[in-house]
Amino acid sequence: MTFFAPFTIPFIVGTIFLFVAVATKWILWIARLPKVDRRLIAHNFFSLGTLAAIWEVVRESLLHAKIFRRNPLLGFMHMSLAFGWFLLIVVGWIETIVYLGFEMIPLQGHVFFKYFMPLNGIEAHIPLFEQLMDALLLLVLTGVALAWFKRIASKAMGMRRATKHVLFDRIALSALWFIFPARLVAESLTAALYGGNGFLTGTLGGFIGELLPTEVLTTLYEPAWWFYSSALGLFFVAMPFSRYMHIFTEIPLIFLRRWRLRPTLERKSYDNFEVEACSRCGICIDPCQLQEDLGIHDTQSVYFLRDRRYNMLSLKVANNCLMCGRCEAVCPVGINLTTLRINSRAKRRNIPHEGRYRYLTSLDRSSGEGKVGYFAGCMSSLTPAVQHSMERIFEAVGEAVWYADKDGGVCCGRPLMLSGETDAARKMVAYNTDLFRRHEITTLVTSCPICLRSFRENYHLDGIEVLHHSQYLDRLIAEGRLSVKQGEESYSYHDPCELGRGSEVYDEPRRVIEAVGELREPRHSRRDALCCGSSLANTVIGDEQQLRIARRMTRELEETAADAIVTACPLCHKAIARSTHHTVVDIAEVVARNIAE
Amino acid sequence: MAHRVVIVGGGAAGMQTALELKSRGIEPVIVERDIELGGKARGWYKLFPSFTPAGDVMRPLAERVKRERIRCFYGQEVTEFAPDGVILRSGERIPADAVVVATGFTLFDAHRKQEYGYGLYDNVLTSVDLERMMNSGAVTLADGSMPRRIAILHCVGSRDEKVCQKHCSKVCCITGVKQAIELKQMFPEADIFNFYMDIRMFGPGYEELYREAQERHNIHFVRGRISEAAETINKRIQIKAEDTLTGRPLRMTVDMLVLLVGMSANYENAELAKRAGLELSPNGFFRTVDSFLGAVRSQREGIFFAGAATAPKSLADTLAEASLTASAVDEYLKNSFNK
Repeated sequence: MTFFAPFTIPFIVGTIFLFVAVATKWILWIARLPKVDRRLIAHNFFSLGTLAAIWEVVRESLLHAKIFRRNPLLGFMHMSLAFGWFLLIVVGWIETIVYLGFEMIPLQGHVFFKYFMPLNGIEAHIPLFEQLMDALLLLVLTGVALAWFKRIASKAMGMRRATKHVLFDRIALSALWFIFPARLVAESLTAALYGGNGFLTGTLGGFIGELLPTEVLTTLYEPAWWFYSSALGLFFVAMPFSRYMHIFTEIPLIFLRRWRLRPTLERKSYDNFEVEACSRCGICIDPCQLQEDLGIHDTQSVYFLRDRRYNMLSLKVANNCLMCGRCEAVCPVGINLTTLRINSRAKRRNIPHEGRYRYLTSLDRSSGEGKVGYFAGCMSSLTPAVQHSMERIFEAVGEAVWYADKDGGVCCGRPLMLSGETDAARKMVAYNTDLFRRHEITTLVTSCPICLRSFRENYHLDGIEVLHHSQYLDRLIAEGRLSVKQGEESYSYHDPCELGRGSEVYDEPRRVIEAVGELREPRHSRRDALCCGSSLANTVIGDEQQLRIARRMTRELEETAADAIVTACPLCHKAIARSTHHTVVDIAEVVARNIAE
Repeated sequence: MAHRVVIVGGGAAGMQTALELKSRGIEPVIVERDIELGGKARGWYKLFPSFTPAGDVMRPLAERVKRERIRCFYGQEVTEFAPDGVILRSGERIPADAVVVATGFTLFDAHRKQEYGYGLYDNVLTSVDLERMMNSGAVTLADGSMPRRIAILHCVGSRDEKVCQKHCSKVCCITGVKQAIELKQMFPEADIFNFYMDIRMFGPGYEELYREAQERHNIHFVRGRISEAAETINKRIQIKAEDTLTGRPLRMTVDMLVLLVGMSANYENAELAKRAGLELSPNGFFRTVDSFLGAVRSQREGIFFAGAATAPKSLADTLAEASLTASAVDEYLKNSFNK
């Protein structure tokens, strides 16, 4: 048998196109990887990471476990489409092998098996396959039905807002929606004409066979298969240019990630894998406070990645983001949205004149001596009560402290990084690193989560332990070095983005608060905590808008009816203080007030 | 029978309105939150630009209110008002034929600009603290010594989006000049610096006083806001600023830092306005019909305004406006009830 019929042409063309397009993308992306990344691949290729990646592909790309955890119905929709289609291919393959043995069968032979091998052409017919294939088709069709349902009622599937799609996505989406109903029709017609006893196509075929005369069935037969093949072909052609490229991108991304490749402050080829792995599922839209509080609907991560992918990213979209990390926390693909956003900004940076940094040479305003260094951070200069409290605490425990910036210091560099000024930021990084090394500290305590994240992610401070002051205070209390008195006051704690989602510090500040009073949680807390809105990362929204974001967040803190609102970030402190009439204090102040005599 | 008008607030605006209404044969009732009359101007030292003792203005007002036997409720807060009366926190209702809202303003809480160290450092004080100190006759540093170098910072809580105070508080510029001159007269050896964004000298005699401060008293004016203040070991205040005229950053250590705190809208305005069906301006002060013929009228017939409840105003402006309010109330009562 030749396994050829004219109707297969759209499918064959589409498939060849798809393979060439995807292969070209992969080859180019991998070839352009920087040397560091290629070395990482070579180094980690034969490692447990590879096995872990295989398991992750099954769990996430096929079963969509993360989406399941978010909303079971939404998870089922993604799973039925991905895993159902995958099994259709696999079981179909086995079916042909079982019936025809291991001979060379062209791809269309597998896909259109029912056309080339209707039931009456098979001698040792195994009904199990038919039932199984029908069951899988039903599974996929359920997914398609849910996808339609999601278009009209996304709320029922845990999404208040769904993605607005571009033209290519709409073409691919329409084609995708037609593929499986078309397959159902084509296979049912085949069953009507040639028999078949699958519970879905067989029953439907029998029904059609009784309803329509044979002449009508034979006239419809070829066009139905043409339609199915064309839908497949069209989908395959649109695929590499649409959101569905994520199917072929997420898999290599999972491997690369397990081999420890990461995006950096500068754009590189690896970013392509992250950018095109976005399926535009839109799960990132709902958590975005710009959307919820300000009605900004075009800058969410899904649109940012889309614009970046199609080279139409505007400065406004790139810059209009709080980088609070709420979208990153829910992204089912685990895309490094913040880093990609930063390096998109870096493309448009200004490179300042070298002479501007001359002030850095031989500058040292630090004071005191000790193995513990304290870096209050620029923002803490605007909330001096934090510094005072820390000084009192250091004194109370008799810690010898070297004060890095008590009399003014150099910025940690993160505000510059966030606006894409990576070169300028590196000057700050180099200066501070040198300063810390010169004073031979072994622990670095900072009161600013922005600095904390910068020290942890962008500095190489091997041998120096970097702590946020809440962690340091927690340790002092746990080790019994600092005794505090348990008071009557209740505190509502706000998780700063850079401390919580950014640095994974959730428990320490809570333990510290519980040591001195009663802790109360706002409705959104920990990984789900709301941003205060005054993020340094957003250079587009104005004060009024920042305030609107802050008000909703503050309301939740007020609703706990605690005596005071506590935070652990000078920037959040300022943002909360201007949006409430309640008392706002830093965690260091709370501790300093409750030092046992 | 005389018409009764309830006046919410017994500060300069409330007292002046009450006296004017009384002279027109109307029965005013003052509801004052504090235990005595006088409002924010009570305890003030001297008034700009003439250095008139504040007591010379406020005392006669309060005495006249007493002499005219105007009924006053003290220590009572109004929780709701309508054209036909007000409800007190105690639940008591005072019926009236019209209501005048003379609730004034709230001083900007300098703690909210923590970077200036108010409440943290001993020698950082507000313009109000300084006024009280001058009134008590002893302006000294926390340790009792004389200041040799003083910085006065303008626009603390005014024209500052960062603390949601976009408006100009109008009186601080001239107060800063006035207090600088007073300090200079007290401490002739001291250097006094005013840090400002703009100097707004719009009133009669203001500009003249500003020139006098520079020419006769040698007071320094630096265009630039202070960004932060820190305390040195010997309790002096180190300030960082930018001299925007020379474009240079500046560090200076002073003995005393005076913060010219602005006027904020009362926090309660939002709730009161909602209950009374009135509107607020974006800055939280009550909104008047317009700033011309409707400058003391609210969106509701029978509710009127006097003084700084609608916008920051000087004492002189407030007193002038209160008379206007009384005349508007009188006219309203005549038109509505005597037909």
